[in-house]
Amino acid sequence: MNYIVKRTAQAVFTVFAVITLSFVIIRLLPGGPADYLRAQLIQRSGGSLTQEQINQRIASQTNIAVDEPLYVQYVDYMASILRGDFGTSVWYSNEPVIAVLGPAIPWTVFLMATSLFIAFVLGVTLGAFMAYREGSGFDVGSTGVSLLTNSVPYYVIALLLLTFLGYRMELFPTGGQYASETTPGLNLEFVLSALHHGALPILSLVLASFGGWALNMRGNSIRVLGEDYLRVARLRGLPERRIALRYVGRNAILPMYTGLLIAIGFMFGGSIILEEIFAYPGVGYYMIQAINARDYPVMMGAFILITVAVTIGVFIADVTYGWIDPRAEGGGTRESY
Amino acid sequence: MATTERLTATESTADTILRVRDATVSFEMDRGTARVLNGVDLDVKRREILGVVGESGSGKSMLASAMLDAVEEPGRLTGEIIYYPEEGEPVDVLNLSKAELKRLRWEEISMVFQGALSSFNPTMSVRGHFTETLRAHDADVEAGMERARELLSDLYLDPERVLDSYPHELSGGMSQRALIALSLVLEPNVLVMDEPTAALDLLMQRSILALLSDLQEKYDLTVVFITHDLPLVAGLADRLAVMYAFELVERGPAAELIRDAAHPYTRALLKAVPNLDAPLSTMRSIEGSAPDPVNIPDGCSYASRCPLADDQCLREDPGGYGAGPEHPVSCHHWRRADEAVPFETEVGE
Repeated sequence: MNYIVKRTAQAVFTVFAVITLSFVIIRLLPGGPADYLRAQLIQRSGGSLTQEQINQRIASQTNIAVDEPLYVQYVDYMASILRGDFGTSVWYSNEPVIAVLGPAIPWTVFLMATSLFIAFVLGVTLGAFMAYREGSGFDVGSTGVSLLTNSVPYYVIALLLLTFLGYRMELFPTGGQYASETTPGLNLEFVLSALHHGALPILSLVLASFGGWALNMRGNSIRVLGEDYLRVARLRGLPERRIALRYVGRNAILPMYTGLLIAIGFMFGGSIILEEIFAYPGVGYYMIQAINARDYPVMMGAFILITVAVTIGVFIADVTYGWIDPRAEGGGTRESY
Repeated sequence: MATTERLTATESTADTILRVRDATVSFEMDRGTARVLNGVDLDVKRREILGVVGESGSGKSMLASAMLDAVEEPGRLTGEIIYYPEEGEPVDVLNLSKAELKRLRWEEISMVFQGALSSFNPTMSVRGHFTETLRAHDADVEAGMERARELLSDLYLDPERVLDSYPHELSGGMSQRALIALSLVLEPNVLVMDEPTAALDLLMQRSILALLSDLQEKYDLTVVFITHDLPLVAGLADRLAVMYAFELVERGPAAELIRDAAHPYTRALLKAVPNLDAPLSTMRSIEGSAPDPVNIPDGCSYASRCPLADDQCLREDPGGYGAGPEHPVSCHHWRRADEAVPFETEVGE
C-alpha cells in the first residue's frame, strides 16, 4: 500500500515536472512561442494593437500573462492546465486547444490500442508455437519473417501499404477516419467505415511490431520450457493444456508485461508519423499540423498529453506488476525480489 | 547378461516392490552413443530405505528418473522395470500407456528433486500446487488438502502459512519440506529422492533425514534416497547401493557395507569423506577420473584407478560376486580389497 502511495506521488511529480517544463519552454526560451506570437501579432496588426492588447492576446492563447510577475504567470498557467484549459489554438481560428485535440484522442487510442492488441496476441501466440517446435522448419522460418518485419520501420510498411493497397488497387481509403456519408454513432455503416479507414494504419503497425513480441515470447518460453518446475509438473500428471497456459505461458509473458504497458504509453507518440502518412486526424496528426503552422499552444497541449499518457502507462505497469508476479509484490519491499 | 542370474540367486525377490533389470539410458551424440546408465540391476524392497551413493556424473539421477520412466528426451531408456503393488498384478513400468503412466507417477511412485525452489511454479501459491495435483489425478480435493495439512505438520511446518505462501517466500529448508509433502499428497508407496538435501546446510540436512525416517514409518513408505554423501545416508538407509561409472558396483546392508566394504571403490570413497573421528592424514582422494560415457572400457570400469587391477580386470567385466548373502560386489579381487585399501581407523558411525 505504502508502495502505491509512493509510486502515485512519483507519477504526479513527473506530470507536474513536464507541465513546468512546458511553461519554461513557452515563457523563457528566446525566440520561443511567446516571442513568436508577439512578433506575429505585431506583424499582422500592422502596429494597430497596443502593447496591452498584444499581451492579452498572448495570455488567452498560451495561458501566460506576460506582464504579470513570473510566479503569478506560473501559478496561473498550472491552474489552467489543471482545469483542462490548454489555451487557444493560433491556427484553428482561435479554438481552445482542448477542442482541437479532444476529439482526436479517441481515434488515436483506437488505432494504437487495436494494433498493439493484435500485434501482442499474434506475437505471443506465434512465439509460443515457435518455442514448442524449437529448431523445426516452422521455427526457423518464423524467426526469419519476424526478424525481417521487425527491422522494417512501420512508416516504410505504411507507405508501401498506402501505395499498393490504397492508391494502386484502391482497396482501402487513403485518408480520413470514416466516410463522410456515414453518421458517427453506434451504427453498422459507421463502424465498418471506421474499420475500413483504420485497417491500413493498424496493419502497418501490427506488421512492424508482431515480430518483436514473437521473438521475445519465443526466447522466454524456451527458457521456461527448460525449467525444473516444468518437468515436475509433467511428472505430477498435469494436463498439457494447463502446463502450456499456467506454467509456460504465464511465466513467459511475465517479463513482457512492463514492455506492453510502456508501449501503450508510447502509442500517442508513435502516432505522429503514422497519422500524417494516412492523413488520419488523431493527436499525432494535429501535432504535426501544429508544428508546421507554429501553433505553439496545440503543440504544447499534444506534448503534455503524450507525456501524461506515457506516465500513466508506466504507472499502471508498476502498480499492477505485483498482482501478476507475486515475486514483485510490494515493489521490492520483500527481501526476495 | 551373466550377472543377472547370479544376482537373482543371492537376492531374494519375495518382498520386492521395484525390480530394475539391465536398465540402460543412452544418448545419441555426434561422437557416438553415450551410456549414462549401463545395465543396472537393482531390487528395491518393500518399506526399506535404500541409499544409492555415487559421485557426480555416475548416473544416479538417471537411475532415479528411470524408476518413473521419466528420462528426458533425447535420452533413451531400455531394460525392464517392474513395479509390484501390494495387491494386484505386477506393473511393467516401461510399457505403460500414457494414462497408466500418469497413474503410476505420483500415485504409486513419487519423486523429490534437488533444488526444491526450482521445482515450484514461481507464480503459483503452494496451495495451488497441491490442488492442481489432486485435480489432475481426479482425487478428492477436500480430503487431499486435509492430508496435505497433516503432512506439512508432520514435517514441522505451519500448514496454513505454507499453503498461502508463494515459493519464493519459503526458505530452502521449508520449500524442500513442502516439496516432500507435495510428493506424498497422493499417498504413493515409493518415494524416490534425488539429492533432496544437496542445497541445504548440514543442520537442515540432518533434520530432514530425521523427519524422513518418521514419515517412512508413519506412511509405510519405500524410500530410494540418492546422494553423493555416503556418511549422510549411512545412518538412515537399511541398504546401500554404490554407483560408479553408470553401473552399480556394490550393494548390501548399510552397516555391513560401511564396516566391511568389498569393492575397492567403495572403500576409497569412504576414505575420501572427511570425518571428525578420523585424522586428516588418513583421508585420501581417489586418483584419476571416471570414464567417458561414450567410451566405457571393456573390462572393469574402475580398473584404471584401482590398486588391484590386473589383466583380468582389463579383459573381463566383473560380474556379481557374493561378498555376503545379500551383498553382491562387482570386483574380481574383492577378497583382497581390504588389504589394498585399508581403513587406518574405523570409519562410520
